[in-house]
Amino acid sequence: MVNDQPMLQLRTRWFPTRVSGERSMLMEIEFAVNGRAKDKPSMSEIVWATGNIKQALADLPPIVPPRVRREFERLLQPWRQGRYTEAYHRTGGILNLFTPPWGEQQDEVWNKMLAEWRAKIFADDQARRSTLAELEQRWNNTPHPFFAGLTPAQVMIGGGAQEAKLADEFLTQIEKTFGKREFPGEGDMLIKTLLLLRGWQVEPQPNGQTPQQIILTERAELLDRRARVLAERKL
Amino acid sequence: MSKRKPPKHSTKAEARSGYHYWVRQADEIIAKNGAEVRPDNWQQLALDWFTPREPDRSALARYIAAHQTKLGVAWARGLLRLEVFFQVKDDVAIVEHYDRTFRAYPRCALIELWVAGHILRQSGDWWRVRQMYLNAAVELPTFAKPFYELGFMNYLLSDFPGALEQFNRAAALVAADDVEGGARIFYNRGLVRFAMDADKQAAIADVEEALRRKPDYSQAQEALRAFKSRSRWVPW
Repeated sequence: MVNDQPMLQLRTRWFPTRVSGERSMLMEIEFAVNGRAKDKPSMSEIVWATGNIKQALADLPPIVPPRVRREFERLLQPWRQGRYTEAYHRTGGILNLFTPPWGEQQDEVWNKMLAEWRAKIFADDQARRSTLAELEQRWNNTPHPFFAGLTPAQVMIGGGAQEAKLADEFLTQIEKTFGKREFPGEGDMLIKTLLLLRGWQVEPQPNGQTPQQIILTERAELLDRRARVLAERKL
Repeated sequence: MSKRKPPKHSTKAEARSGYHYWVRQADEIIAKNGAEVRPDNWQQLALDWFTPREPDRSALARYIAAHQTKLGVAWARGLLRLEVFFQVKDDVAIVEHYDRTFRAYPRCALIELWVAGHILRQSGDWWRVRQMYLNAAVELPTFAKPFYELGFMNYLLSDFPGALEQFNRAAALVAADDVEGGARIFYNRGLVRFAMDADKQAAIADVEEALRRKPDYSQAQEALRAFKSRSRWVPW
């Protein structure tokens, strides 16, 4: 059937910075790993249930370039036990797409937690290590101001179908708004885009929920689903 | 003896950036204003040109006193040129001049505070600028501007509670005669309050305060109309 053949779609997008344009590709891949085709489980669900990344990628059409395939593999890797530092290398979805890349050095939250831990006196090394492990878990599961209020775990899980639709809506809109406008500098473009994004994310949609609420709820549901499936596998 | 020609590549690079042309222009303006930087007046000229008003003047005087032996005529000349670039609002010249000239001297929180916004608008070097504002917040704790700027960055990061906290600090510190600064602080605090929990009343109160301080603040006028007339706010 012709309809079942993979199709290559080309479209143009406007981005304020080169890096946000590049990250948008990764964001699409993050959406894709959580996407369900018809009643089939998503790639993420296959990996949570079986631990088998190859099986999850089996349906990827051969046209998918090796670089993209490697990104899928990276995203589907099991999460590390301690702090989810990999979250620094994920996009955080549309709410974080334009935030210039940052890592541990810029992470004011983690650096503050770490400084307090270092300043504290512990009874023994065991207590010291266990407090650090607790801090890591707290960091993983606390809304982070630099992740637009998502927790690092919510960043790790990636966005779902509703966020993909919202992201498309926003990116289409900024192209219409800014596509032909001239700006004095890249920074100015970035600021204007972020101002629009922050206004848009708190605007109620027809269902009364804001994009921010929809995105947070969907990511929380994906995390719950992951926890349930992993628990069934007793991981 | 024949003069050596400068290497070709550097001439081309300079022509491309126009930096030396801007500096010559700035020097002409400085000379026209009768300012000649000398070993006996560099401190006074720096203070008079860059910081005619308090509290900036005292902050720069403290910096000069702390680093006197490392500063001097060349530093003051650099500062006067920077002020000329500020006056003509040339972001590119400000950033390039700052990067070329002031890296050789001890970091100055006050200069960083004034340059950071231009770096952000020009190159979007976000985390460098944030660090500059964090430094300024620590080193100039009575200034409203670093807290306002951090609040604005927090808002752009979607950290609304963090933004509100910074704007509250800025609102408490801003001088009554700082019309521009005060208006911006209250206007942006209003936006954050609306973004946080759609609190229109609080948002309107802040935007009205911004307009009380600066009646012709067009963005605040527009926001006030939007808050009062309809539920949607995104400008498209």
